[in-house]
Amino acid sequence: MPSPQTPPIGSTALDPTAVRPPIDDAIIERVEPSELRARLIALKREGFTMLLDIGGVDYLERKPRFDVVYHLLKLPPRVSSVAEIGRPERRRLLCGVPGEDARVPSVADLWPSADWAEREVYDLFGIVFEGHPDLRRIQMPADWEGHPLRKDYPLRGPARERTPRPVFANKSNVRAGTPPSGRTAAALQRQIALARGQVPPVQGEAK
Amino acid sequence: MSTIDVPPPRKLEIVEQSGNEMVVSIGPQHPSTHGVLQVITQIEGEVISRASPEIGYLHTGIEKSAENLFWTQASTVIERMDYLSPLSNALCYFLAVERLLGVTDRIPPRAQQIRVLMAELHRIASHCVWLGTHGIDVGALSVFFYCFDLREDILDLTEAAGGARMHPNYLRLGGVNGDLPEGYLARLDALIEKFPGRMADLRRLLQKNPIFQDRTVDIGVLSLEDALAWGATGPVLRASGMAYDVRKAFPYCGYEQYEFDVPTRTEGDAYARFLVRLDEMEESMRIIRQVRKQLDTPGPVMIDDPKIAPPPKETIAVSMEALIHHFKIVSEGVRVPPGDVYQSVEGPRGELGYYIVSNGDNKPWRVRTRPPSMYHTQLLKTLTIGELIADMVVIIGSLDPVFGEVDR
Repeated sequence: MPSPQTPPIGSTALDPTAVRPPIDDAIIERVEPSELRARLIALKREGFTMLLDIGGVDYLERKPRFDVVYHLLKLPPRVSSVAEIGRPERRRLLCGVPGEDARVPSVADLWPSADWAEREVYDLFGIVFEGHPDLRRIQMPADWEGHPLRKDYPLRGPARERTPRPVFANKSNVRAGTPPSGRTAAALQRQIALARGQVPPVQGEAK
Repeated sequence: MSTIDVPPPRKLEIVEQSGNEMVVSIGPQHPSTHGVLQVITQIEGEVISRASPEIGYLHTGIEKSAENLFWTQASTVIERMDYLSPLSNALCYFLAVERLLGVTDRIPPRAQQIRVLMAELHRIASHCVWLGTHGIDVGALSVFFYCFDLREDILDLTEAAGGARMHPNYLRLGGVNGDLPEGYLARLDALIEKFPGRMADLRRLLQKNPIFQDRTVDIGVLSLEDALAWGATGPVLRASGMAYDVRKAFPYCGYEQYEFDVPTRTEGDAYARFLVRLDEMEESMRIIRQVRKQLDTPGPVMIDDPKIAPPPKETIAVSMEALIHHFKIVSEGVRVPPGDVYQSVEGPRGELGYYIVSNGDNKPWRVRTRPPSMYHTQLLKTLTIGELIADMVVIIGSLDPVFGEVDR
């Protein structure tokens, strides 16, 4: 029986082996991506008929960086009353996935409900589900760049940085248009200095 | 001048076309899709041979926004996921955060009762919208007005308690924001009085209506096996024979003390889902009547813990400590101990769950919603095969998806 584990917590101390008593109804297991499929097949045989949800968590500084979280529910596979269902068992599987080359096996063939859930984790976290029948973006547009729920993705998205300045800003002696990201502040300073003639322009640079 | 890069139009993976087959794109601007759902449908004559739902048109990044707000602020965006029953979302979120804080047992009973009252009122209100729009889908226009009249009463009650009709942000961490106002219970009594007659009207209008039965009986049949495999919950699962209700299986907010049944059917078609939801509305009212009796006893509605709930406004003028606590909570927010938790409630659409990770900071590290509607929308892939294209809207209506929740 696997011991209850918590995902590593704390922005400074991210410890993947911290153990704590569970505070919800689920029994928690941690599995490696290589064992994930075998474990889920075994759990399905044990009677976990429903895969409630698949979610992702990005821990950024931790190794492995991501967790893919599977929520399972053990409902009887036949018509049942409230008394027969009782308090069904919940199981939560946490699967650590490394940040570079993030891959986990797909379980869309075991539970069809995993289809969209895996697509969503792929879309928002960039974790690839190997063997998924139709792995493409689901929430974001197909040509979107980046994976918004990653912690290093800016809150307002990169599009904001490309937005041109409004017309009234053209009155200023700074050229319209925010410079490309990455060199915003420095480039702006240089533009201002250039416009004021405080620094000589490099060859080819607009004044 | 820099220009905005215009992305190329979204490419749609159209299924291969041959012979008598035709590909029709239903939505995303179709009124019967109950929001912004697009279903790319392959039809042979009038029979659907393949359907591919496309979602994401209403994606607003609520989960990302919630990560960047204080624990107490996040509920404002979370309420906007399922905009037909905003309070179930807030309820589930706060129950999860209270578990992380370890204060679940310390929530005052009156606060729990008000939460149950609000959750059940919003279940009825949400089912009213479902029934009204479902009626319109099949051509029964008058049902809509009866339903929205009932919903108006509930929204008025929400406004009286929380100050806003749709998104009152009335539930708070540790309780609810203020007691029910004077005269509220009398208005609630009037609603309880009115409800049975209105329900009878709704049943008379649709339940034995031969046109309605023609459109829904044996349409979109979902077997129990499929329902489990596709992650269906709530009324959709119960119409296929499984009496799984989070309120019974994992009681929260003291649901174990109320007497109510879990209506089920075994047919699994659109008509069964219709009947289950109608019965559910009556069961909700049964719970509300029991809560109403408890609400006569006054009591606190907020947890007595200055680290979680700001002290009452009156005390701020006279107590330095209260002022400091108030200032700390408003400016820095509440800190939640590290850990992860999964909490679910029985929303109007099914098992609504929140998987929340805290790193001990004043903002959530991750808020993952388990949206019942998303799994129900996914069902369209299997439910519509072999049905007539005209029945597509009936099937969508019977699944009752809310796209604020599907796309988040």
